[in-house]
Amino acid sequence: MNEPKLSRRDFLKLTRTLLLTASGLLGLGGLIRFLSYPSQPLAPTEFDLGPASNYAPGSRTVLPDVPALLVHGETGFTALSLVCTHLGCTVESQPDGFACPCHGSRFDLLGKVKRAPASKTLVSRRVEIGPDGKLHLFTN
Amino acid sequence: MRRLIVIASALLLLTLLGIAWLESRHVIPVALTPSLTGQVEYCLSCHGDLPEIGKSHPVKSFGCVLCHGGERLALEANLAHNSMRGGKNPADFSVVQASCGGTICHSGSTEGYRDHIQRATTSIQATYAGAIASIRYTFGEQPDLTAHLGTTAIQDSQSTSGITSLEVFNPLLETNPAVLAFGQTCLTCHLFAQPGQTGGRYDHFTGCTACHTPTQSSDLTSIDTKTATQVHKLTTAISYAQCDTCHNRGNYDLRAITFQPRQDTPTDRLHDYYQPIAQFTKCEYTLDCIDCHTRTEAMGDGNLYSNKKQIQYIQCKTCHGTLTGLPQTLTITDPNHIAFRQSLLNPVIELKPGDNVLVTEKGEPLWNTRLQPDGTYELVGKATGQVFPFKPVMGSGCTQDPDDQSSGSCHKCHSVER
Repeated sequence: MNEPKLSRRDFLKLTRTLLLTASGLLGLGGLIRFLSYPSQPLAPTEFDLGPASNYAPGSRTVLPDVPALLVHGETGFTALSLVCTHLGCTVESQPDGFACPCHGSRFDLLGKVKRAPASKTLVSRRVEIGPDGKLHLFTN
Repeated sequence: MRRLIVIASALLLLTLLGIAWLESRHVIPVALTPSLTGQVEYCLSCHGDLPEIGKSHPVKSFGCVLCHGGERLALEANLAHNSMRGGKNPADFSVVQASCGGTICHSGSTEGYRDHIQRATTSIQATYAGAIASIRYTFGEQPDLTAHLGTTAIQDSQSTSGITSLEVFNPLLETNPAVLAFGQTCLTCHLFAQPGQTGGRYDHFTGCTACHTPTQSSDLTSIDTKTATQVHKLTTAISYAQCDTCHNRGNYDLRAITFQPRQDTPTDRLHDYYQPIAQFTKCEYTLDCIDCHTRTEAMGDGNLYSNKKQIQYIQCKTCHGTLTGLPQTLTITDPNHIAFRQSLLNPVIELKPGDNVLVTEKGEPLWNTRLQPDGTYELVGKATGQVFPFKPVMGSGCTQDPDDQSSGSCHKCHSVER
Protein backbone atom coordinates (compact mmCIF):
# COMPACT_ATOMS: atom_id res chain seq x y z
CA MET A 1 0.00 0.00 0.00
CA ASN A 2 1.38 3.37 -0.94
CA GLU A 3 1.74 5.94 1.82
CA PRO A 4 0.28 9.32 0.80
CA LYS A 5 3.16 11.61 -0.05
CA LEU A 6 3.38 15.06 1.55
CA SER A 7 3.38 17.47 -1.32
CA ARG A 8 5.89 20.32 -1.37
CA ARG A 9 3.02 22.77 -1.07
CA ASP A 10 1.63 20.98 1.99
CA PHE A 11 5.08 20.79 3.56
CA LEU A 12 5.59 24.56 3.17
CA LYS A 13 2.13 25.21 4.50
CA LEU A 14 2.70 23.00 7.51
CA THR A 15 6.10 24.60 8.22
CA ARG A 16 4.65 28.09 7.89
CA THR A 17 1.80 27.22 10.24
CA LEU A 18 4.16 25.78 12.84
CA LEU A 19 6.53 28.75 12.68
CA LEU A 20 3.73 31.32 12.91
CA THR A 21 2.05 29.42 15.74
CA ALA A 22 5.33 29.27 17.69
CA SER A 23 5.93 32.97 17.02
CA GLY A 24 2.41 33.81 18.10
CA LEU A 25 2.72 31.83 21.32
CA LEU A 26 6.10 33.38 22.07
CA GLY A 27 4.77 36.89 21.41
CA LEU A 28 1.68 36.20 23.47
CA GLY A 29 3.82 34.93 26.32
CA GLY A 30 5.92 38.08 26.19
CA LEU A 31 2.83 40.24 26.14
CA ILE A 32 1.34 38.43 29.13
CA ARG A 33 4.65 38.74 30.98
CA PHE A 34 4.82 42.44 30.17
CA LEU A 35 1.25 43.11 31.26
CA SER A 36 1.59 41.10 34.45
CA TYR A 37 4.86 42.79 35.44
CA PRO A 38 4.38 44.19 38.95
CA SER A 39 5.00 47.91 39.14
CA GLN A 40 6.99 49.25 42.04
CA PRO A 41 4.48 49.67 44.85
CA LEU A 42 4.43 53.01 46.58
CA ALA A 43 5.68 53.05 50.12
CA PRO A 44 2.69 52.39 52.40
CA THR A 45 1.44 55.34 54.40
CA GLU A 46 -1.06 53.39 56.48
CA PHE A 47 -0.30 50.38 58.65
CA ASP A 48 -2.86 47.99 60.14
CA LEU A 49 -1.55 47.18 63.61
CA GLY A 50 -4.23 44.66 64.53
CA PRO A 51 -6.61 44.79 67.50
CA ALA A 52 -5.94 47.59 69.96
CA SER A 53 -6.44 45.08 72.75
CA ASN A 54 -3.15 43.46 71.72
CA TYR A 55 -1.29 46.42 73.22
CA ALA A 56 -1.54 46.52 77.01
CA PRO A 57 -1.79 49.86 78.84
CA GLY A 58 1.71 51.13 79.57
CA SER A 59 3.26 49.12 76.75
CA ARG A 60 5.86 50.47 74.33
CA THR A 61 5.99 48.42 71.15
CA VAL A 62 8.60 48.78 68.44
CA LEU A 63 7.11 48.44 64.96
CA PRO A 64 10.12 47.63 62.78
CA ASP A 65 8.21 47.68 59.50
CA VAL A 66 7.14 51.32 59.89
CA PRO A 67 9.56 51.98 61.74
CA ALA A 68 7.92 53.53 64.78
CA LEU A 69 7.33 53.09 68.48
CA LEU A 70 3.73 52.59 69.57
CA VAL A 71 3.04 53.82 73.10
CA HIS A 72 -0.12 52.92 75.00
CA GLY A 73 -0.12 55.71 77.56
CA GLU A 74 -2.66 57.13 79.99
CA THR A 75 -4.20 59.31 77.29
CA GLY A 76 -4.41 56.57 74.72
CA PHE A 77 -2.22 55.51 71.83
CA THR A 78 0.59 57.64 70.42
CA ALA A 79 3.40 56.76 68.05
CA LEU A 80 6.83 58.15 67.39
CA SER A 81 8.81 57.67 64.19
CA LEU A 82 12.06 55.81 64.71
CA VAL A 83 13.70 57.49 61.72
CA CYS A 84 16.55 59.69 62.93
CA THR A 85 16.02 63.32 61.95
CA HIS A 86 19.74 63.67 61.17
CA LEU A 87 20.37 61.30 58.26
CA GLY A 88 17.49 58.86 58.26
CA CYS A 89 18.93 55.90 60.15
CA THR A 90 16.62 53.84 62.34
CA VAL A 91 17.09 54.77 65.99
CA GLU A 92 17.10 52.14 68.71
CA SER A 93 14.69 52.26 71.63
CA GLN A 94 16.42 52.36 75.00
CA PRO A 95 15.05 52.61 78.56
CA ASP A 96 15.79 56.34 78.74
CA GLY A 97 15.00 57.28 75.14
CA PHE A 98 16.38 56.55 71.72
CA ALA A 99 19.90 56.19 70.31
CA CYS A 100 20.97 56.46 66.70
CA PRO A 101 23.57 53.80 65.88
CA CYS A 102 24.89 55.71 62.87
CA HIS A 103 26.15 59.01 64.21
CA GLY A 104 25.36 58.93 67.91
CA SER A 105 22.35 61.21 68.22
CA ARG A 106 20.35 60.68 71.40
CA PHE A 107 16.67 61.46 72.04
CA ASP A 108 14.65 61.39 75.26
CA LEU A 109 11.49 59.34 75.73
CA LEU A 110 9.43 62.07 74.07
CA GLY A 111 11.77 62.16 71.08
CA LYS A 112 13.45 65.45 71.95
CA VAL A 113 17.13 65.77 71.07
CA LYS A 114 19.52 65.11 73.93
CA ARG A 115 22.72 64.88 71.88
CA ALA A 116 23.72 66.13 68.42
CA PRO A 117 24.24 65.74 65.51
CA ALA A 118 20.43 65.51 65.17
CA SER A 119 18.77 68.85 65.79
CA LYS A 120 15.09 68.04 65.32
CA THR A 121 12.65 66.09 67.48
CA LEU A 122 11.56 62.64 66.32
CA VAL A 123 8.36 62.91 64.29
CA SER A 124 5.01 61.91 65.85
CA ARG A 125 2.79 59.54 63.89
CA ARG A 126 -1.00 59.60 63.87
CA VAL A 127 -2.70 56.55 65.38
CA GLU A 128 -6.44 55.85 65.13
CA ILE A 129 -8.72 53.06 66.31
CA GLY A 130 -11.05 51.93 63.57
CA PRO A 131 -14.70 50.85 63.98
CA ASP A 132 -13.46 47.27 63.95
CA GLY A 133 -11.31 47.92 67.01
CA LYS A 134 -8.11 47.76 65.00
CA LEU A 135 -5.29 50.24 65.33
CA HIS A 136 -4.16 52.12 62.24
CA LEU A 137 -0.94 54.09 62.06
CA PHE A 138 -0.44 56.80 59.42
CA THR A 139 2.90 58.07 58.21
CA ASN A 140 1.66 60.85 55.93
CA MET B 1 5.94 33.20 -2.70
CA ARG B 2 5.13 30.41 -0.24
CA ARG B 3 8.80 29.82 0.28
CA LEU B 4 9.29 33.51 1.11
CA ILE B 5 6.51 33.39 3.67
CA VAL B 6 8.10 30.36 5.33
CA ILE B 7 11.50 32.10 5.43
CA ALA B 8 9.90 35.24 6.85
CA SER B 9 8.11 33.16 9.48
CA ALA B 10 11.37 31.47 10.42
CA LEU B 11 13.09 34.84 10.74
CA LEU B 12 10.26 36.13 12.90
CA LEU B 13 10.52 33.14 15.20
CA LEU B 14 14.31 33.49 15.44
CA THR B 15 13.98 37.16 16.27
CA LEU B 16 11.44 36.44 18.99
CA LEU B 17 13.64 33.65 20.39
CA GLY B 18 16.57 36.07 20.44
CA ILE B 19 14.55 38.65 22.31
CA ALA B 20 13.37 36.02 24.79
CA TRP B 21 16.98 34.90 25.35
CA LEU B 22 18.18 38.46 25.92
CA GLU B 23 15.26 39.05 28.27
CA SER B 24 16.10 35.91 30.24
CA ARG B 25 19.60 37.25 30.86
CA HIS B 26 18.28 40.34 32.65
CA VAL B 27 18.78 40.41 36.38
CA ILE B 28 15.81 40.20 38.67
CA PRO B 29 15.21 43.75 39.91
CA VAL B 30 15.77 44.32 43.62
CA ALA B 31 14.39 47.69 44.61
CA LEU B 32 15.64 49.81 47.48
CA THR B 33 14.23 53.17 48.52
CA PRO B 34 16.75 54.77 50.91
CA SER B 35 15.16 56.84 53.65
CA LEU B 36 17.53 59.72 52.92
CA THR B 37 16.69 60.12 49.24
CA GLY B 38 13.23 58.57 48.95
CA GLN B 39 14.08 57.55 45.37
CA VAL B 40 14.01 53.93 44.33
CA GLU B 41 17.27 52.45 43.05
CA TYR B 42 18.11 49.02 41.68
CA CYS B 43 21.81 48.71 42.47
CA LEU B 44 21.22 45.82 44.87
CA SER B 45 19.93 43.71 41.99
CA CYS B 46 23.57 42.93 41.27
CA HIS B 47 25.37 44.20 44.38
CA GLY B 48 23.24 42.66 47.10
CA ASP B 49 26.18 40.56 48.28
CA LEU B 50 28.33 43.57 49.20
CA PRO B 51 28.83 44.02 52.93
CA GLU B 52 27.58 47.18 54.61
CA ILE B 53 30.23 49.86 54.19
CA GLY B 54 29.98 50.80 57.85
CA LYS B 55 27.45 51.63 60.48
CA SER B 56 27.57 55.37 59.75
CA HIS B 57 26.42 54.87 56.17
CA PRO B 58 23.83 52.05 56.25
CA VAL B 59 22.52 51.19 52.80
CA LYS B 60 18.94 51.29 54.06
CA SER B 61 19.36 55.00 54.81
CA PHE B 62 21.90 56.12 52.22
CA GLY B 63 21.44 53.69 49.36
CA CYS B 64 24.25 53.52 46.81
CA VAL B 65 23.65 56.37 44.37
CA LEU B 66 23.93 59.17 46.90
CA CYS B 67 27.64 58.48 47.31
CA HIS B 68 28.57 56.55 44.16
CA GLY B 69 26.42 58.24 41.54
CA GLY B 70 25.34 56.06 38.62
CA GLU B 71 21.97 55.49 36.98
CA ARG B 72 19.71 54.36 39.78
CA LEU B 73 17.03 52.77 37.56
CA ALA B 74 19.32 50.93 35.15
CA LEU B 75 19.63 47.15 35.24
CA GLU B 76 22.29 46.85 32.58
CA ALA B 77 25.82 47.15 33.99
CA ASN B 78 27.34 49.59 31.50
CA LEU B 79 24.37 51.90 31.66
CA ALA B 80 24.09 51.69 35.45
CA HIS B 81 27.79 52.47 35.91
CA ASN B 82 27.97 55.09 33.21
CA SER B 83 27.68 58.13 35.44
CA MET B 84 29.37 56.79 38.55
CA ARG B 85 31.66 59.23 40.31
CA GLY B 86 35.32 58.25 40.63
CA GLY B 87 34.84 54.71 39.34
CA LYS B 88 35.12 52.43 42.34
CA ASN B 89 36.22 55.31 44.53
CA PRO B 90 33.74 58.14 44.96
CA ALA B 91 36.00 59.66 47.61
CA ASP B 92 38.74 60.51 45.12
CA PHE B 93 39.45 64.20 45.61
CA SER B 94 38.39 65.00 42.03
CA VAL B 95 34.80 64.05 42.88
CA VAL B 96 34.72 64.06 46.67
CA GLN B 97 32.67 67.23 46.98
CA ALA B 98 29.84 65.72 44.95
CA SER B 99 30.10 62.32 46.63
CA CYS B 100 30.78 63.10 50.27
CA GLY B 101 30.11 66.84 50.55
CA GLY B 102 27.11 68.77 51.76
CA THR B 103 26.52 70.70 54.94
CA ILE B 104 24.97 67.77 56.76
CA CYS B 105 27.70 65.44 55.53
CA HIS B 106 31.42 66.08 55.22
CA SER B 107 31.42 69.72 54.17
CA GLY B 108 29.97 70.77 57.46
CA SER B 109 30.73 73.82 59.51
CA THR B 110 34.35 74.81 60.12
CA GLU B 111 33.38 74.88 63.78
CA GLY B 112 34.85 71.87 65.48
CA TYR B 113 36.79 70.93 62.35
CA ARG B 114 33.65 69.47 60.77
CA ASP B 115 34.54 70.58 57.24
CA HIS B 116 36.43 67.40 56.53
CA ILE B 117 36.77 67.86 52.78
CA GLN B 118 38.19 71.36 53.05
CA ARG B 119 40.62 70.18 55.72
CA ALA B 120 41.74 67.07 53.89
CA THR B 121 42.23 68.75 50.52
CA THR B 122 44.31 71.58 52.03
CA SER B 123 46.28 69.27 54.32
CA ILE B 124 49.97 68.74 53.86
CA GLN B 125 49.23 65.11 52.86
CA ALA B 126 47.22 66.39 49.91
CA THR B 127 49.21 69.43 48.85
CA TYR B 128 52.63 67.82 49.33
CA ALA B 129 53.73 71.42 49.70
CA GLY B 130 56.40 70.64 52.26
CA ALA B 131 58.29 68.17 50.10
CA ILE B 132 58.01 70.40 47.04
CA ALA B 133 59.26 73.46 48.91
CA SER B 134 62.06 71.50 50.53
CA ILE B 135 63.36 70.08 47.25
CA ARG B 136 63.12 73.40 45.42
CA TYR B 137 64.90 75.18 48.26
CA THR B 138 67.60 72.49 48.45
CA PHE B 139 68.40 72.89 44.78
CA GLY B 140 68.27 76.67 44.82
CA GLU B 141 64.96 77.13 43.06
CA GLN B 142 63.41 79.18 45.84
CA PRO B 143 64.97 81.38 48.53
CA ASP B 144 63.38 79.83 51.60
CA LEU B 145 61.31 76.88 52.81
CA THR B 146 57.97 78.65 52.59
CA ALA B 147 55.54 76.71 50.40
CA HIS B 148 54.42 78.41 47.21
CA LEU B 149 53.53 75.35 45.14
CA GLY B 150 51.35 72.31 45.72
CA THR B 151 50.02 69.32 43.85
CA THR B 152 46.99 71.40 42.87
CA ALA B 153 46.31 75.11 42.82
CA ILE B 154 44.50 76.09 46.01
CA GLN B 155 43.08 79.37 47.27
CA ASP B 156 42.22 79.62 50.95
CA SER B 157 41.59 83.18 52.07
CA GLN B 158 40.61 81.92 55.53
CA SER B 159 43.98 80.28 56.13
CA THR B 160 45.59 81.69 59.26
CA SER B 161 49.00 80.17 58.69
CA GLY B 162 50.29 83.04 56.54
CA ILE B 163 49.85 81.01 53.35
CA THR B 164 46.59 81.73 51.57
CA SER B 165 47.25 80.09 48.22
CA LEU B 166 49.41 77.56 46.44
CA GLU B 167 50.15 77.52 42.73
CA VAL B 168 50.27 74.17 41.03
CA PHE B 169 53.70 72.53 40.87
CA ASN B 170 54.46 71.73 37.23
CA PRO B 171 57.70 69.76 36.94
CA LEU B 172 57.97 70.57 33.25
CA LEU B 173 58.48 74.23 34.10
CA GLU B 174 61.44 73.42 36.34
CA THR B 175 64.90 74.01 34.92
CA ASN B 176 66.90 72.25 37.60
CA PRO B 177 67.31 68.57 36.59
CA ALA B 178 67.01 67.38 40.20
CA VAL B 179 63.73 69.21 40.74
CA LEU B 180 62.51 67.97 37.38
CA ALA B 181 63.41 64.40 38.38
CA PHE B 182 61.66 64.86 41.71
CA GLY B 183 58.54 66.00 39.91
CA GLN B 184 58.62 63.06 37.56
CA THR B 185 59.32 60.32 40.08
CA CYS B 186 58.28 61.45 43.53
CA LEU B 187 54.74 62.73 43.18
CA THR B 188 52.83 59.52 43.55
CA CYS B 189 52.08 59.49 47.24
CA HIS B 190 49.98 62.52 47.97
CA LEU B 191 46.27 62.07 48.41
CA PHE B 192 45.39 63.37 44.95
CA ALA B 193 47.68 60.92 43.14
CA GLN B 194 47.28 57.38 41.99
CA PRO B 195 49.87 55.21 43.80
CA GLY B 196 53.07 54.72 41.85
CA GLN B 197 53.53 51.23 43.22
CA THR B 198 50.65 48.89 42.81
CA GLY B 199 49.99 45.47 44.16
CA GLY B 200 50.50 43.93 47.55
CA ARG B 201 51.32 45.82 50.66
CA TYR B 202 51.46 49.36 49.28
CA ASP B 203 48.08 49.36 47.57
CA HIS B 204 45.79 52.14 48.65
CA PHE B 205 43.07 54.30 47.21
CA THR B 206 43.16 58.04 46.66
CA GLY B 207 41.41 60.83 48.56
CA CYS B 208 39.57 60.00 51.77
CA THR B 209 39.72 56.27 51.17
CA ALA B 210 43.52 56.26 51.06
CA CYS B 211 43.23 56.10 54.84
CA HIS B 212 39.61 55.27 55.64
CA THR B 213 39.27 52.19 53.43
CA PRO B 214 41.63 49.52 54.66
CA THR B 215 43.52 47.80 51.88
CA GLN B 216 46.12 46.45 54.28
CA SER B 217 46.02 44.40 57.44
CA SER B 218 48.48 44.50 60.32
CA ASP B 219 48.39 40.72 60.49
CA LEU B 220 51.99 39.74 59.83
CA THR B 221 51.66 36.01 60.36
CA SER B 222 51.97 35.71 56.63
CA ILE B 223 52.97 38.46 54.28
CA ASP B 224 50.19 37.35 51.93
CA THR B 225 47.59 38.20 54.53
CA LYS B 226 48.69 41.82 54.52
CA THR B 227 46.40 42.42 51.61
CA ALA B 228 42.86 42.67 52.88
CA THR B 229 40.08 41.83 50.50
CA GLN B 230 37.12 43.74 51.87
CA VAL B 231 37.45 47.21 50.43
CA HIS B 232 33.77 48.17 50.65
CA LYS B 233 34.42 49.60 54.08
CA LEU B 234 34.86 52.97 55.71
CA THR B 235 36.45 53.09 59.12
CA THR B 236 38.16 55.38 61.59
CA ALA B 237 39.97 52.38 63.09
CA ILE B 238 43.00 52.77 60.86
CA SER B 239 45.86 50.37 61.34
CA TYR B 240 49.49 51.46 61.07
CA ALA B 241 49.70 49.11 58.08
CA GLN B 242 47.42 51.46 56.15
CA CYS B 243 49.67 54.43 56.99
CA ASP B 244 52.59 52.30 55.82
CA THR B 245 51.22 52.22 52.28
CA CYS B 246 52.65 55.72 51.91
CA HIS B 247 54.89 56.30 54.89
CA ASN B 248 56.90 53.12 54.94
CA ARG B 249 57.41 52.02 51.37
CA GLY B 250 61.11 52.70 51.35
CA ASN B 251 63.47 55.66 51.28
CA TYR B 252 64.26 58.51 48.97
CA ASP B 253 67.80 58.78 47.66
CA LEU B 254 68.17 62.55 47.54
CA ARG B 255 71.45 62.42 45.66
CA ALA B 256 69.99 60.46 42.78
CA ILE B 257 66.42 61.73 43.30
CA THR B 258 65.10 58.23 43.15
CA PHE B 259 62.92 56.16 45.38
CA GLN B 260 64.35 52.97 46.83
CA PRO B 261 61.53 50.55 47.71
CA ARG B 262 61.86 48.36 50.75
CA GLN B 263 63.49 45.05 50.05
CA ASP B 264 63.05 43.43 53.44
CA THR B 265 60.16 41.22 54.46
CA PRO B 266 59.33 42.00 58.07
CA THR B 267 57.69 39.28 60.09
CA ASP B 268 57.10 41.17 63.32
CA ARG B 269 55.68 44.53 64.18
CA LEU B 270 58.94 46.03 65.44
CA HIS B 271 60.61 45.46 62.10
CA ASP B 272 57.57 46.36 60.06
CA TYR B 273 57.11 49.69 61.71
CA TYR B 274 58.34 52.89 60.10
CA GLN B 275 61.45 51.55 58.50
CA PRO B 276 63.52 54.76 58.24
CA ILE B 277 63.85 54.91 62.04
CA ALA B 278 66.27 52.52 63.67
CA GLN B 279 65.30 53.08 67.29
CA PHE B 280 61.87 53.02 68.84
CA THR B 281 60.36 53.62 72.20
CA LYS B 282 57.96 50.83 72.96
CA CYS B 283 54.87 52.91 72.37
CA GLU B 284 56.14 53.96 68.95
CA TYR B 285 55.74 50.46 67.58
CA THR B 286 53.16 48.83 69.81
CA LEU B 287 50.59 51.55 69.26
CA ASP B 288 49.10 52.48 65.92
CA CYS B 289 49.93 55.87 64.40
CA ILE B 290 46.43 57.25 65.07
CA ASP B 291 46.59 56.32 68.75
CA CYS B 292 48.79 59.38 69.28
CA HIS B 293 48.47 61.54 66.17
CA THR B 294 45.25 63.49 66.14
CA ARG B 295 42.72 64.12 63.43
CA THR B 296 44.05 67.63 62.72
CA GLU B 297 47.59 66.33 62.44
CA ALA B 298 46.50 63.71 59.93
CA MET B 299 43.74 65.53 58.07
CA GLY B 300 44.81 69.12 58.61
CA ASP B 301 43.09 71.93 60.44
CA GLY B 302 41.89 73.81 57.38
CA ASN B 303 45.00 75.95 56.94
CA LEU B 304 47.71 75.67 54.33
CA TYR B 305 51.15 74.85 55.70
CA SER B 306 54.71 74.73 54.46
CA ASN B 307 55.69 71.48 56.10
CA LYS B 308 54.39 68.75 58.36
CA LYS B 309 56.16 70.07 61.44
CA GLN B 310 53.82 73.04 61.40
CA ILE B 311 50.80 70.79 61.87
CA GLN B 312 52.26 67.75 63.60
CA TYR B 313 52.68 68.66 67.25
CA ILE B 314 52.09 65.67 69.49
CA GLN B 315 55.04 64.98 71.73
CA CYS B 316 55.82 62.43 74.41
CA LYS B 317 54.80 64.90 77.12
CA THR B 318 51.30 65.21 75.65
CA CYS B 319 50.51 61.89 77.27
CA HIS B 320 53.27 61.49 79.82
CA GLY B 321 53.69 65.05 81.09
CA THR B 322 56.99 66.31 82.44
CA LEU B 323 58.91 66.05 85.68
CA THR B 324 57.10 69.11 86.94
CA GLY B 325 53.70 68.82 85.35
CA LEU B 326 51.08 66.19 84.69
CA PRO B 327 49.62 65.87 81.21
CA GLN B 328 46.57 68.00 80.57
CA THR B 329 43.22 66.35 81.11
CA LEU B 330 39.66 67.39 80.41
CA THR B 331 36.51 66.32 82.20
CA ILE B 332 33.88 65.70 79.56
CA THR B 333 30.49 66.85 80.75
CA ASP B 334 28.88 68.29 77.61
CA PRO B 335 26.94 65.44 75.95
CA ASN B 336 27.63 67.09 72.59
CA HIS B 337 31.41 67.02 73.07
CA ILE B 338 33.21 65.75 69.99
CA ALA B 339 34.94 63.06 72.08
CA PHE B 340 31.64 61.22 72.48
CA ARG B 341 31.02 61.19 68.75
CA GLN B 342 34.55 60.05 68.02
CA SER B 343 34.25 57.22 70.50
CA LEU B 344 30.90 56.22 69.02
CA LEU B 345 32.31 56.04 65.50
CA ASN B 346 35.03 53.73 66.74
CA PRO B 347 33.64 52.17 69.90
CA VAL B 348 36.83 50.81 71.42
CA ILE B 349 36.08 52.77 74.59
CA GLU B 350 32.78 53.66 76.20
CA LEU B 351 33.11 57.24 77.39
CA LYS B 352 30.68 58.51 79.98
CA PRO B 353 29.93 62.07 81.07
CA GLY B 354 32.36 62.92 83.85
CA ASP B 355 35.23 60.90 82.38
CA ASN B 356 38.65 62.56 82.34
CA VAL B 357 40.47 62.20 79.07
CA LEU B 358 43.88 63.51 78.09
CA VAL B 359 43.84 66.64 75.99
CA THR B 360 46.55 67.98 73.71
CA GLU B 361 48.32 71.31 73.89
CA LYS B 362 45.89 72.56 71.22
CA GLY B 363 42.85 71.33 73.11
CA GLU B 364 42.12 68.23 71.05
CA PRO B 365 40.73 65.43 73.21
CA LEU B 366 42.62 62.15 73.08
CA TRP B 367 39.29 60.37 73.37
CA ASN B 368 40.85 56.93 73.50
CA THR B 369 42.57 57.72 76.82
CA ARG B 370 41.22 57.97 80.34
CA LEU B 371 42.57 59.07 83.70
CA GLN B 372 42.23 56.26 86.22
CA PRO B 373 41.22 56.73 89.88
CA ASP B 374 44.73 55.81 91.03
CA GLY B 375 46.30 58.62 89.01
CA THR B 376 47.57 56.42 86.20
CA TYR B 377 46.20 56.50 82.67
CA GLU B 378 45.01 54.04 80.09
CA LEU B 379 45.02 54.25 76.33
CA VAL B 380 42.87 51.98 74.19
CA GLY B 381 44.27 51.17 70.76
CA LYS B 382 41.94 52.63 68.12
CA ALA B 383 42.71 49.88 65.64
CA THR B 384 43.28 47.01 68.06
CA GLY B 385 41.11 47.71 71.11
CA GLN B 386 44.10 46.71 73.21
CA VAL B 387 44.36 48.50 76.57
CA PHE B 388 47.71 50.11 77.41
CA PRO B 389 48.11 51.36 81.01
CA PHE B 390 50.76 54.02 81.52
CA LYS B 391 52.10 56.39 84.17
CA PRO B 392 53.08 60.05 84.17
CA VAL B 393 56.71 61.09 84.21
CA MET B 394 56.18 63.18 87.32
CA GLY B 395 57.21 61.21 90.35
CA SER B 396 59.24 58.74 88.31
CA GLY B 397 63.00 58.48 88.07
CA CYS B 398 63.03 59.93 84.57
CA THR B 399 65.77 62.47 83.93
CA GLN B 400 64.21 64.05 80.90
CA ASP B 401 64.88 67.52 79.61
CA PRO B 402 61.40 69.05 79.72
CA ASP B 403 62.32 71.34 76.83
CA ASP B 404 63.38 68.50 74.57
CA GLN B 405 60.51 66.17 73.84
CA SER B 406 61.86 64.91 70.56
CA SER B 407 61.83 61.19 70.02
CA GLY B 408 65.63 61.30 69.88
CA SER B 409 65.80 62.60 73.42
CA CYS B 410 63.49 59.92 74.77
CA HIS B 411 65.30 57.23 72.77
CA LYS B 412 68.41 57.89 74.83
CA CYS B 413 66.89 55.84 77.64
CA HIS B 414 63.82 54.15 76.20
CA SER B 415 64.96 52.87 72.85
CA VAL B 416 64.38 49.41 71.52
CA GLU B 417 67.06 48.53 69.00
CA ARG B 418 66.36 46.43 65.99
